[in-house]
Amino acid sequence: MAAALELSGIRKSFGDFLALDNAELRVEYGEVHALLGENGAGKSSLMNVAAGLYSPDSGLISIAGAACRFSGPREAMQHGIGMIHQSFKLVKRFSVTENIHLANPRGPYHSGRKAILREISDKTRALGFGLDPYRRIDSLSIAEQQRVEIIKVLVAGAHILILDEPTAVLTEGESQRLLSMVREIAERGAAVVLVTHKLRDVKTFAHRVTVMRSGKTITTLDAQKATAEVLTMLTVGSTIIAPSRSAKPAGELRLAVSGLASRTIEGHTPLVNATFSVRSGEIYGIAGVGGNGQTELAAALVGGRLPNAGAIEIKQPGKEEMMDVTHATPRQRRDHGMAAVPADRQAFGLASSLSIVDNFAIGFMHQGRFGSPARIDRTSMGLATKEAVADFDVQGVRSLWQRAGLLSGGNAQKLILAREFSRAPSIIVAHSPTRGLDVRACAAVQERLLAARDRGAAVVLISEDLDEVLSISDRIGVMTRGRIVAEFDAPADRLAVGRAMVDHA
Amino acid sequence: MPDRYAVLPPLWAPRFFSVVAPALPHLILEVRSDMPAWKQAVIISCSIVIGLFVSAVILIGSGVPTADLIGEFAASVFDVRGFHAVLVQAAPLILVGVAASIGFRARFWNLGLEGQMVWGGIAATAVSIHEIGPEQLRLPFMALAAMLAGMGWVAIPTLFKLKFSVNEIIATLLLNYVATYFLYDLLYGSWKDPSDAYPHSAQYAAAERLPDIGFVNVGLPLALFFALIVWWLAELSRFGFYLKFIYANPAMARFVGVPIRSAVLAAVLISGALAALAGFVISSGSTGRLTQGFFEGYGFSGVLIAFLARNNAAAAAIVAILVAMLFVTGQSFQIFYQIPFSMVQMIQAIIVMCVAASEFFVRHRIRIQRRG
Amino acid sequence: MQSVLLSWFGNLPPLAVPYALASLGLIISERSGVLSLGAEGLMLVGALSGVAAYLSFGGYPLAALGFAMVTAAIVSLLFGVLVVLLRVNQVIAGLALVFFCQGLTNLVGTIADWSNHTVAGLQGWALYQLSELPIVGRLLFTQDIVVYLTIPIFLGVAYFLNRTNAGLRLRSVGESPEAADAAGLNIYLYRFAAVAAGSALVGLAGGYLSLGVAKIWMAGMTGGRGWIAVALVIFARWHPWRALFGALLFGGIEALIPQISAAGIRVPQYFMLMTPYLATLAVMLWQGIRGQIGSDEPAALGQPYVREERT
Repeated sequence: MAAALELSGIRKSFGDFLALDNAELRVEYGEVHALLGENGAGKSSLMNVAAGLYSPDSGLISIAGAACRFSGPREAMQHGIGMIHQSFKLVKRFSVTENIHLANPRGPYHSGRKAILREISDKTRALGFGLDPYRRIDSLSIAEQQRVEIIKVLVAGAHILILDEPTAVLTEGESQRLLSMVREIAERGAAVVLVTHKLRDVKTFAHRVTVMRSGKTITTLDAQKATAEVLTMLTVGSTIIAPSRSAKPAGELRLAVSGLASRTIEGHTPLVNATFSVRSGEIYGIAGVGGNGQTELAAALVGGRLPNAGAIEIKQPGKEEMMDVTHATPRQRRDHGMAAVPADRQAFGLASSLSIVDNFAIGFMHQGRFGSPARIDRTSMGLATKEAVADFDVQGVRSLWQRAGLLSGGNAQKLILAREFSRAPSIIVAHSPTRGLDVRACAAVQERLLAARDRGAAVVLISEDLDEVLSISDRIGVMTRGRIVAEFDAPADRLAVGRAMVDHA
Repeated sequence: MPDRYAVLPPLWAPRFFSVVAPALPHLILEVRSDMPAWKQAVIISCSIVIGLFVSAVILIGSGVPTADLIGEFAASVFDVRGFHAVLVQAAPLILVGVAASIGFRARFWNLGLEGQMVWGGIAATAVSIHEIGPEQLRLPFMALAAMLAGMGWVAIPTLFKLKFSVNEIIATLLLNYVATYFLYDLLYGSWKDPSDAYPHSAQYAAAERLPDIGFVNVGLPLALFFALIVWWLAELSRFGFYLKFIYANPAMARFVGVPIRSAVLAAVLISGALAALAGFVISSGSTGRLTQGFFEGYGFSGVLIAFLARNNAAAAAIVAILVAMLFVTGQSFQIFYQIPFSMVQMIQAIIVMCVAASEFFVRHRIRIQRRG
Repeated sequence: MQSVLLSWFGNLPPLAVPYALASLGLIISERSGVLSLGAEGLMLVGALSGVAAYLSFGGYPLAALGFAMVTAAIVSLLFGVLVVLLRVNQVIAGLALVFFCQGLTNLVGTIADWSNHTVAGLQGWALYQLSELPIVGRLLFTQDIVVYLTIPIFLGVAYFLNRTNAGLRLRSVGESPEAADAAGLNIYLYRFAAVAAGSALVGLAGGYLSLGVAKIWMAGMTGGRGWIAVALVIFARWHPWRALFGALLFGGIEALIPQISAAGIRVPQYFMLMTPYLATLAVMLWQGIRGQIGSDEPAALGQPYVREERT
């Protein structure tokens, strides 16, 4: 029987960068096929080709044995491909029905709407969950929005579903529910491609797995029979030694957060009551699924958004008293030894149109390190940046004066770390510092955090990657629904932490 | 980070045309990562030439003989009187161009340049009418009063924006109308010169007129001086460095601790002060009194100059001289061919549209990919 | 006193209509995500072409209004090409459009000698029998046809936006072009169409200004009404009915100005003329203080759409 979806010999480059190098994939009807690889391996690119968003430079796409060429996502949809992206293609202000109706026209408006409502309830009943079709998308949780995407695609008649990193934003429980639903869909005859970098998902739910690395397809294996070690080896290509923590006694109190509460940003859970403290020389990891108040907490700590209630107090080395910085500006916090690594590099970390030197120097300009207010000293800026770039191993720098936007994700993050950490800050707030980075860059960033900690900094690590939090934190706080609900000392029991994340959900 | 692609979807239903013309080529846009400065300059120059050409076509269609078109434009450069007129015209244009540019650098659309000019003229005239200060210092006092008035007038929409997020494009534009009506109230009312029937103020005393240096008045060196100051501030000072970040990524600037509010406020106040100074230069240098429409056409000219000069004060000075040539040509067209002066505005708008459109080609490369 | 009030209310509708139609047109364009600052210029184009058609083609006001709508829509295509296809900064393009139109209409109006000719223009229609009603009759039912048509136009546009497939798609293009693109919609087509349709209404507003209200063409006769309409759209939070309310408010202010001196109250002339602009500023400030600025703004307003391919 012909394969549901077959991609062969796909090549795709963006300028000099070869994203896909003869990549292949073959998915059968009725299976859940995992596409495994680390960030930057090319799995999302390959699926974007399948979904008609990218046009390949060369190669063949065939659906149910027939060769096709897509000029856009519309054509791919007409051939039965439905892709659920990491960032959902939903109109936030519209209701569920309006979104699904938009994607699936059914004749004149009023009768079409009724038909859509019927189809929605049919599909949701068949899959065994409830969905209020009149609710606005921005009032739904991420997991619910994802389900809307799936229904949208099924109503369109997709028989090949592609899910791009679907469990990245879900709790363990929600992931389980999603993946069993997906397996159910496959058992009813559809072909499902699960793009992921999580081994656990592959082992539990996939029938077969294809591993990609550096734009190439490495091999395809039976997911149940392959071992985790083999899969890791294939994914990464060599062994990476993850940085490890050496036990060290923590010093004096540096940061005390009590009763912090703030309004929500963008319809997520607001911060309700965050209370914790961090000492010098320790990493306090805040674990939890995204959307539980982490963004609000990070914003309050950094000064991006003032909290409605509660207090943040810090104690600088050498000073006797705690200082209240709850309402301090970001500038003032930096002056008092706080540094921050933002989750969204593009938006808050760098000004991509400005040079690498500028992006480095801005961190120190105000203290007068690079000239007087009347005249800045470009030479010393260049020298200091050169040193920092070498020190922090920032690669891909053809010229220090090139646009910072040309740096890859990992190198951009290293530049940000160079700027923030060279000041030897006493308190560091790192929010999802390894998001979107490949394994090597992740390890580099984690090493830097540990080095800072060893030098005596108090580090708050807010991360949605539970493994990362578990591996480098000295103490762990679990954040759910805007509160720190449990605390653990390292080494922590993964199951206990996971349970704390869910119990209060 | 590699080039990013985007596919231009054809404007017609692909299904229909893929049946009829399966081999219709696809246009693929590539976003360029960088383009050398000289190439950008060439593209901008070409688009300016295209803009001038389009404007010439419109003018010829309106009845201006072709030979005269070029003749008048050339006269502004090669004829001594024309050249003098251009230099005199350049001074206020340099000031408004630089004023617009420093405002734009702070991401503030200061479209209230004309209103600020009005207040500059009003404040200077007030100093003259009330004879504030000894005669030797009268001129500097007038200039200072003008700058303070401009700062005050622009402070209103600035605070509205910083504190209440009010859109400054509309706020500054509306305030232009308010300023103009206030001017009319003065010129038709309490400040009207009783010696004739025109709505203008009494003539300034000799000490209140800008003195000449060589064959221009001191307005031009004054304008160039301020252009230099603003250039220094923007390129070499710490304040300018902060502005770079505010312009490139305000969220990041805030995150990194740039003092956004004070930097923006400072930039916009400078902008208002310089625009008002332009009003003073015209009143004291050219007309010798406060008149009704002295500011007309300068608002958009300032925006044009800043736009073409990419918000660089030094380039703005050069572009301002070219715009001055346009103004002088426009004035002679008005006199000799009864073409309304607003044709100058139209030409400027055409040039802006051509240059803005050309940016598309600076940022993108178009490839043709055969389908099928 | 009573006659002043009656006079005021009677003059209100014609003065409110340009604001109403212009802001409705802007709402259509902006709901598709295109920031339209060119209203001031397009109104001038509509005003001039209305008078031009009236003077050149035998004095049919309705046909002239139609001509005004078409001309404004054609000029707006220039803006559409710049902003939708070439992704020019929408603020710059809007400003350039305004000044281009100001210069062009001034030039053409002078050369073709269409300026400063009074025209009979639109006449009032006494609505059979309804106009006989005591006070209300004279006030409300002797207006011209455009005033009568304004409410149905609003109803039509509101229905279109909220209860048709095309309206749903238009709104989606303005809220989330990524979702619309993924749903297979042609973003460019919808934005072009929205700009053209919205500009036709703006042109109608301008044509009504010259043919219905002032009954003359003069250079620059819109006097900032286009900018006030832009502010009105923000004030109305992109909802048609709120825009109508705002238009009534500003029409009321404009209608009040001559009544004040007629009532014998002495206020300096030019200060009175400032009132519409000050009122607009006050409204914007009030909105800002209440923190309402930007709520309900189409999420993709002002951003050109690129089907970006990221690595």
